[in-house]
Amino acid sequence: LSVQILRIAAALYAGAAAAYIVYFARPRHARAATIGFWLLAAAFGVNAVAFGVGCAEYGGLEFFGLRGGLVTVVWLVSGVYLVLQRYYKIPTLGAFITPFTLVVLVPTLFGDPKRPEIAPAALRHPTLTVHIVTAGLGVALFAIAFGSAIMYLLQEREVKGKRFGALFSRLPSLDTLDRMVQRLVRAGFVIYTIALVAGTIAATAAWKSPWSWDPQQVVSLAVWFLYGAMVQLRHSGWHGRRYALLTLVAFVLVAGSMVSLKTVPGITRHQGDYGLTTPAGGAQ
Amino acid sequence: VSRDLFLVGLSHKTAPIEVRERVALSGDDLKSALEELRRMDGVEEAFVVATCNRVEVYVQADGDGAARRFFTQRAPEAGDHLYVKGGADAVRHLFRVSASLDSMVVGEQQVLGQVKEAYGLASAAQAAGSYISRLCNRAFATAKRIRTETDIGRGATSMSQVAVELVEKIFGDLRGRSILLAGAGKMGALSAKALADLGADRILVTNRSPDRGLALAHQVAGTFREWEELPRLLVEADVAIVSTGAPHYVLTRDLVHAAMKARRQRSLCLIDLAVPRNVDPAAGQLPDVFAYDVDDMEKVVESTHEARKGEALRAEAIVEAEVMAFTKEREARAALPVLAQLRRQAEAIALAEAERTLAQVGGKLDEKGRKSVEAMARAIVNKLLHGPTARLKEAASSGDGTLAGAAAELFGIEEAPAPSGKERGPREPGPPTPTVASNE
Repeated sequence: LSVQILRIAAALYAGAAAAYIVYFARPRHARAATIGFWLLAAAFGVNAVAFGVGCAEYGGLEFFGLRGGLVTVVWLVSGVYLVLQRYYKIPTLGAFITPFTLVVLVPTLFGDPKRPEIAPAALRHPTLTVHIVTAGLGVALFAIAFGSAIMYLLQEREVKGKRFGALFSRLPSLDTLDRMVQRLVRAGFVIYTIALVAGTIAATAAWKSPWSWDPQQVVSLAVWFLYGAMVQLRHSGWHGRRYALLTLVAFVLVAGSMVSLKTVPGITRHQGDYGLTTPAGGAQ
Repeated sequence: VSRDLFLVGLSHKTAPIEVRERVALSGDDLKSALEELRRMDGVEEAFVVATCNRVEVYVQADGDGAARRFFTQRAPEAGDHLYVKGGADAVRHLFRVSASLDSMVVGEQQVLGQVKEAYGLASAAQAAGSYISRLCNRAFATAKRIRTETDIGRGATSMSQVAVELVEKIFGDLRGRSILLAGAGKMGALSAKALADLGADRILVTNRSPDRGLALAHQVAGTFREWEELPRLLVEADVAIVSTGAPHYVLTRDLVHAAMKARRQRSLCLIDLAVPRNVDPAAGQLPDVFAYDVDDMEKVVESTHEARKGEALRAEAIVEAEVMAFTKEREARAALPVLAQLRRQAEAIALAEAERTLAQVGGKLDEKGRKSVEAMARAIVNKLLHGPTARLKEAASSGDGTLAGAAAELFGIEEAPAPSGKERGPREPGPPTPTVASNE
């Protein structure tokens, strides 16, 4: 059932993406952006319902797989964008964010999530919930920073290359985009820090050790250092093109590690293996 | 007597400035000219648009004579430069002028305001009545529609506008930032002033000769700094407008490079308005430096003109549709007095007949019976007039005015009052009726 509801949400996401693209192609039709906003808000709501139903069906276990993770990030990206739009009013960002959510979401619609093999009771650790939500939110913020960085680089190419075409007039100013990237990276870093702390606490409970050189832990720590360095670099004057490029690289790393760690079986115990059912977990 | 709209005028397209300035009027002169126009024989309403590019007299009158005299009285040679239009052509002309399709810079914003002002003056002088009022309101609505439905007003049409657009795309606005104006070129001062509207904190001015620099600083409300300070000024300012008469690069790559280091790579926008150029093109290649020269900016202006040409075609189609709608509406309105008169006559007859019948037999009827007799009389009128009413309205709205005349003749209705709201006979002296133009 949750998959059915998710499909409805996906249709709404598609509608929002279409509306935002229409707005981007014809900025005079400001109403398209408004329609996009409300469609996205509806998609966000329906997606939340799908989560609720999914938790009831599978005991929340789907959040440990790639599929659940991606859907969570899409959901949070949309939520963060809705909030940003309320405060900053940059509907062109919507034209970059919504197609991205669609690309990520569509593959997850095929195939049902697997039935849980372990008892959900083993996962009822409160910090685990915090870990999942904050990790998802952190990645969502990094994803929007990535989108803004792409917009920055496109606009920089227009402004610097003296090509005053359609992109030039539609995209926001370089300064706006630069500050947006910086704020998102900073906020993402703070949230991600919370996710790491919560994750470590949950790992201590589940794996009996806070640090076990699990690939997921190593990659997460590397990502944390990378974004921490970026926050620091900002203070020492980095901005503009270099910063945007760095944001791109950092997010490619985040997304790449997320997909690879969760698709290659057995590479990490993080895929829902919490050392309670499979003996392999204990062996690592 | 049938009256129509006539336009007599001259503009930058037909008349040289010497002629235009001789017939251009403003303020009280214009007001008395309007009053004079309206007092002329055969003139029902009048309205004058006078800007620096055009003087146009619109009259709702028997002919264009009075409007012509407006020009020839003031400048006899103006007669050779006049254009005269009547009816729908005159309506179309006003719509095109209001929508800035006839302007020197197509799509510019001011002309609509000027036409609105002209209308305000004409209605204050009681020269514009209900017809001019409807006409002008339609013209304003058309101009607004064109502005929202086409991109005719988009893009920069002057160097200083281009500078503003570029700076907006780099910095958003200029709050908390500074502008540097180096050199005393005229374009530089204009651009600095335009940029100051983006909220810049201060304008720094520097020039080789302090005398001209100080004068310029005064002119743009900035602070003068010595020319030797230029390297430091490049660190302080975020936008530098350079327009010196120097025949060589004033901002060399090394100078800008050093400035960028001192700025810790904060973005710097260099606008070079000098010919020969004052900013080394190599400086523009440095990261976070955005440099533009006169050629770059000319290209933007040119592309705006190109784009506007395309948008103007779409705007003309809108004008055409609005002119059609306006003239149709006017004809439909012309049929209404005939209809009203016809109905009034028929109702009077029905009522009189009903009263006569009731006087004879009313005593035998109760209240309900008397009511039914009156109702029957009204019903017969409605039934009889239903078909003719519908057909008259239809004919009028499809532009056929002959049926209304035929109906008037057939039913013996007196000539309906002119479709204008003014109740003043053309030859009738005396105080004008205060007709305040109503906005529809």
